[in-house]
Amino acid sequence: MTWLAFILILVALVAFVAGQLFLKHAMESSTATGLRDRKVIFFLCWGVLSMTIHFFVTLGLLAHLDLSYVYPFQGLSVIIISLAAAIVLREKLTAQLTIGALLISAGIVLVSLS
Amino acid sequence: MTKTHNHPSGVANPWLQLWLSVVCVLIYELLQKRGATETANLSENWSWTGITALASPLVWLAMVLMIISLLSWLYVLRYIPLSIAFPLSRLVDVLIPLSCWLILGEHISPRRWLGISLVVIGLAIVAKPVARLEEKL
Repeated sequence: MTWLAFILILVALVAFVAGQLFLKHAMESSTATGLRDRKVIFFLCWGVLSMTIHFFVTLGLLAHLDLSYVYPFQGLSVIIISLAAAIVLREKLTAQLTIGALLISAGIVLVSLS
Repeated sequence: MTKTHNHPSGVANPWLQLWLSVVCVLIYELLQKRGATETANLSENWSWTGITALASPLVWLAMVLMIISLLSWLYVLRYIPLSIAFPLSRLVDVLIPLSCWLILGEHISPRRWLGISLVVIGLAIVAKPVARLEEKL
Protein backbone atom coordinates (compact mmCIF):
# COMPACT_ATOMS: atom_id res chain seq x y z
CA MET A 1 0.00 0.00 0.00
CA THR A 2 1.35 3.42 -0.90
CA TRP A 3 1.49 6.32 1.57
CA LEU A 4 -1.13 8.18 -0.43
CA ALA A 5 -3.56 5.27 -0.07
CA PHE A 6 -2.82 5.01 3.67
CA ILE A 7 -3.45 8.74 4.25
CA LEU A 8 -6.65 8.67 2.18
CA ILE A 9 -7.93 5.65 4.15
CA LEU A 10 -7.23 7.55 7.38
CA VAL A 11 -9.03 10.68 6.10
CA ALA A 12 -12.02 8.55 5.08
CA LEU A 13 -12.12 6.91 8.53
CA VAL A 14 -11.92 10.16 10.52
CA ALA A 15 -14.54 11.83 8.32
CA PHE A 16 -16.84 8.83 8.76
CA VAL A 17 -16.59 8.68 12.58
CA ALA A 18 -17.05 12.45 12.94
CA GLY A 19 -19.99 12.36 10.50
CA GLN A 20 -21.82 9.64 12.47
CA LEU A 21 -21.38 11.55 15.75
CA PHE A 22 -22.66 14.81 14.19
CA LEU A 23 -25.71 13.06 12.68
CA LYS A 24 -26.59 11.18 15.87
CA HIS A 25 -26.27 14.36 17.93
CA ALA A 26 -28.46 16.29 15.47
CA MET A 27 -31.19 13.61 15.37
CA GLU A 28 -31.12 13.17 19.14
CA SER A 29 -31.62 16.93 19.60
CA SER A 30 -34.39 16.95 16.97
CA THR A 31 -36.66 14.76 19.14
CA ALA A 32 -36.96 17.69 21.56
CA THR A 33 -36.74 20.71 19.27
CA GLY A 34 -37.90 19.48 15.83
CA LEU A 35 -35.87 19.37 12.62
CA ARG A 36 -35.94 23.13 11.91
CA ASP A 37 -34.04 24.06 15.04
CA ARG A 38 -30.83 26.00 14.25
CA LYS A 39 -28.64 23.69 16.32
CA VAL A 40 -30.09 20.58 14.61
CA ILE A 41 -29.47 22.06 11.14
CA PHE A 42 -25.95 23.12 12.14
CA PHE A 43 -24.98 19.57 13.22
CA LEU A 44 -26.78 17.98 10.24
CA CYS A 45 -24.73 20.18 7.87
CA TRP A 46 -21.46 19.16 9.53
CA GLY A 47 -22.56 15.52 9.41
CA VAL A 48 -23.43 15.69 5.71
CA LEU A 49 -20.16 17.53 4.94
CA SER A 50 -18.12 14.85 6.74
CA MET A 51 -20.00 12.06 4.97
CA THR A 52 -19.47 13.78 1.58
CA ILE A 53 -15.71 13.93 2.15
CA HIS A 54 -15.84 10.27 3.14
CA PHE A 55 -17.83 9.43 -0.03
CA PHE A 56 -15.41 11.02 -2.51
CA VAL A 57 -12.24 9.79 -0.82
CA THR A 58 -13.71 6.26 -0.81
CA LEU A 59 -14.55 6.53 -4.53
CA GLY A 60 -10.96 7.55 -5.24
CA LEU A 61 -9.62 4.55 -3.33
CA LEU A 62 -12.05 2.14 -5.01
CA ALA A 63 -10.82 3.22 -8.44
CA HIS A 64 -7.50 1.54 -7.65
CA LEU A 65 -8.15 -1.15 -5.04
CA ASP A 66 -10.66 -4.01 -4.56
CA LEU A 67 -13.90 -3.21 -2.72
CA SER A 68 -13.43 -6.20 -0.44
CA TYR A 69 -10.00 -4.74 0.44
CA VAL A 70 -10.70 -1.00 0.88
CA TYR A 71 -14.02 -1.10 2.62
CA PRO A 72 -13.21 -3.32 5.62
CA PHE A 73 -10.76 -0.69 6.96
CA GLN A 74 -13.89 0.89 8.26
CA GLY A 75 -14.08 -2.07 10.60
CA LEU A 76 -12.04 0.01 13.03
CA SER A 77 -14.83 2.57 12.94
CA VAL A 78 -17.15 0.16 14.82
CA ILE A 79 -15.22 0.15 18.09
CA ILE A 80 -14.14 3.81 17.65
CA ILE A 81 -17.77 4.91 17.16
CA SER A 82 -19.02 2.83 20.12
CA LEU A 83 -16.38 4.38 22.41
CA ALA A 84 -16.96 7.87 21.01
CA ALA A 85 -20.73 7.50 21.50
CA ALA A 86 -20.10 6.60 25.15
CA ILE A 87 -17.60 9.43 25.74
CA VAL A 88 -18.95 12.26 23.57
CA LEU A 89 -22.69 11.44 23.49
CA ARG A 90 -22.78 9.81 26.96
CA GLU A 91 -24.48 6.63 25.75
CA LYS A 92 -24.54 3.66 28.11
CA LEU A 93 -21.94 1.19 26.88
CA THR A 94 -22.45 -2.25 28.47
CA ALA A 95 -19.77 -4.97 28.58
CA GLN A 96 -21.86 -7.00 26.14
CA LEU A 97 -22.02 -4.14 23.61
CA THR A 98 -18.27 -3.52 23.93
CA ILE A 99 -17.40 -7.21 23.37
CA GLY A 100 -19.78 -7.35 20.40
CA ALA A 101 -18.31 -4.19 18.86
CA LEU A 102 -14.74 -5.49 19.41
CA LEU A 103 -15.55 -8.81 17.70
CA ILE A 104 -17.17 -7.02 14.77
CA SER A 105 -14.14 -4.71 14.44
CA ALA A 106 -11.66 -7.59 14.72
CA GLY A 107 -13.63 -9.61 12.18
CA ILE A 108 -13.70 -6.78 9.63
CA VAL A 109 -9.98 -6.02 10.12
CA LEU A 110 -9.20 -9.73 9.65
CA VAL A 111 -11.18 -9.68 6.41
CA SER A 112 -9.22 -6.60 5.26
CA LEU A 113 -5.84 -8.29 5.87
CA SER A 114 -6.50 -11.19 3.52
CA MET B 1 -30.14 6.10 26.51
CA THR B 2 -32.93 6.32 23.94
CA LYS B 3 -36.03 4.36 24.88
CA THR B 4 -36.26 1.50 22.39
CA HIS B 5 -39.89 0.67 23.20
CA ASN B 6 -41.20 4.13 22.43
CA HIS B 7 -41.16 3.89 18.66
CA PRO B 8 -43.69 3.71 15.81
CA SER B 9 -44.58 0.35 14.24
CA GLY B 10 -45.04 -0.79 10.64
CA VAL B 11 -42.94 0.96 7.96
CA ALA B 12 -41.99 3.59 10.53
CA ASN B 13 -40.41 0.92 12.76
CA PRO B 14 -36.77 2.03 13.22
CA TRP B 15 -35.52 -1.60 13.18
CA LEU B 16 -37.14 -2.09 9.75
CA GLN B 17 -35.52 1.17 8.62
CA LEU B 18 -32.18 -0.19 9.84
CA TRP B 19 -32.65 -3.18 7.50
CA LEU B 20 -33.58 -0.87 4.60
CA SER B 21 -30.47 1.21 5.24
CA VAL B 22 -28.24 -1.90 5.27
CA VAL B 23 -29.64 -3.20 1.95
CA CYS B 24 -29.19 0.23 0.27
CA VAL B 25 -25.58 0.45 1.49
CA LEU B 26 -24.85 -3.05 0.16
CA ILE B 27 -26.18 -2.23 -3.32
CA TYR B 28 -24.53 1.20 -3.57
CA GLU B 29 -21.13 -0.15 -2.53
CA LEU B 30 -21.28 -2.74 -5.32
CA LEU B 31 -22.37 -0.06 -7.84
CA GLN B 32 -19.54 2.24 -6.67
CA LYS B 33 -17.00 -0.50 -7.26
CA ARG B 34 -18.29 -1.18 -10.79
CA GLY B 35 -18.49 2.54 -11.63
CA ALA B 36 -15.10 3.44 -10.18
CA THR B 37 -13.31 0.58 -11.96
CA GLU B 38 -14.95 1.44 -15.31
CA THR B 39 -13.72 5.03 -15.12
CA ALA B 40 -10.31 4.54 -13.47
CA ASN B 41 -8.46 4.86 -16.81
CA LEU B 42 -10.04 8.23 -17.80
CA SER B 43 -7.33 10.28 -16.09
CA GLU B 44 -4.47 8.80 -14.10
CA ASN B 45 -3.92 12.06 -12.16
CA TRP B 46 -7.51 12.69 -11.16
CA SER B 47 -8.81 9.17 -10.55
CA TRP B 48 -7.49 9.21 -6.96
CA THR B 49 -9.85 12.04 -6.09
CA GLY B 50 -12.90 10.05 -7.19
CA ILE B 51 -14.06 12.83 -9.54
CA THR B 52 -13.61 10.70 -12.68
CA ALA B 53 -16.08 8.13 -11.30
CA LEU B 54 -18.88 10.68 -11.92
CA ALA B 55 -18.65 9.73 -15.62
CA SER B 56 -20.35 6.42 -14.79
CA PRO B 57 -24.19 6.33 -14.50
CA LEU B 58 -23.78 3.50 -11.98
CA VAL B 59 -22.12 5.97 -9.61
CA TRP B 60 -25.09 8.36 -9.91
CA LEU B 61 -27.48 5.47 -9.14
CA ALA B 62 -25.24 4.66 -6.17
CA MET B 63 -25.67 8.25 -4.98
CA VAL B 64 -29.49 7.95 -5.10
CA LEU B 65 -29.31 4.78 -2.99
CA MET B 66 -26.86 6.52 -0.70
CA ILE B 67 -29.36 9.33 -0.09
CA ILE B 68 -32.13 6.79 0.69
CA SER B 69 -29.84 4.92 3.07
CA LEU B 70 -28.80 8.21 4.71
CA LEU B 71 -32.44 9.24 5.27
CA SER B 72 -33.43 5.89 6.75
CA TRP B 73 -30.24 5.95 8.85
CA LEU B 74 -31.12 9.42 10.21
CA TYR B 75 -34.52 8.03 11.14
CA VAL B 76 -32.85 5.09 12.91
CA LEU B 77 -30.61 7.50 14.87
CA ARG B 78 -33.66 9.28 16.22
CA TYR B 79 -34.74 6.16 18.11
CA ILE B 80 -31.78 3.80 18.57
CA PRO B 81 -28.50 4.60 20.43
CA LEU B 82 -25.49 4.92 18.10
CA SER B 83 -23.55 2.29 20.09
CA ILE B 84 -26.27 -0.27 19.22
CA ALA B 85 -27.39 0.89 15.76
CA PHE B 86 -23.90 1.35 14.29
CA PRO B 87 -22.47 -2.10 15.18
CA LEU B 88 -25.69 -3.70 13.85
CA SER B 89 -25.41 -1.71 10.60
CA ARG B 90 -22.08 -3.49 10.01
CA LEU B 91 -24.12 -6.47 8.83
CA VAL B 92 -23.13 -4.97 5.46
CA ASP B 93 -19.55 -6.03 6.17
CA VAL B 94 -20.73 -9.62 6.08
CA LEU B 95 -23.02 -9.08 3.08
CA ILE B 96 -20.42 -7.19 0.99
CA PRO B 97 -17.69 -9.90 0.93
CA LEU B 98 -20.39 -12.53 0.32
CA SER B 99 -21.77 -10.49 -2.62
CA CYS B 100 -18.26 -9.85 -3.97
CA TRP B 101 -17.79 -13.60 -3.93
CA LEU B 102 -21.18 -14.43 -5.50
CA ILE B 103 -21.58 -11.51 -7.98
CA LEU B 104 -18.14 -10.03 -8.71
CA GLY B 105 -16.38 -13.40 -8.50
CA GLU B 106 -13.78 -12.19 -5.98
CA HIS B 107 -11.96 -14.87 -4.00
CA ILE B 108 -12.56 -15.36 -0.25
CA SER B 109 -9.58 -16.83 1.63
CA PRO B 110 -9.94 -19.01 4.77
CA ARG B 111 -8.71 -16.05 6.88
CA ARG B 112 -11.40 -13.87 5.38
CA TRP B 113 -14.05 -16.50 6.15
CA LEU B 114 -12.81 -16.46 9.78
CA GLY B 115 -13.18 -12.67 9.86
CA ILE B 116 -16.70 -12.92 8.49
CA SER B 117 -17.56 -15.48 11.21
CA LEU B 118 -16.22 -13.13 13.93
CA VAL B 119 -18.44 -10.33 12.64
CA VAL B 120 -21.48 -12.63 12.68
CA ILE B 121 -20.75 -13.65 16.32
CA GLY B 122 -20.27 -9.97 17.29
CA LEU B 123 -23.56 -9.03 15.61
CA ALA B 124 -25.36 -11.80 17.53
CA ILE B 125 -23.89 -10.55 20.84
CA VAL B 126 -25.00 -6.96 20.16
CA ALA B 127 -28.43 -8.01 18.85
CA LYS B 128 -29.31 -10.42 21.68
CA PRO B 129 -30.19 -7.92 24.45
CA VAL B 130 -32.06 -5.84 21.86
CA ALA B 131 -34.17 -8.83 20.78
CA ARG B 132 -34.97 -9.63 24.43
CA LEU B 133 -35.94 -6.02 25.04
CA GLU B 134 -38.25 -6.01 22.02
CA GLU B 135 -39.87 -9.34 22.99
CA LYS B 136 -40.96 -8.05 26.39
CA LEU B 137 -43.02 -5.27 24.85
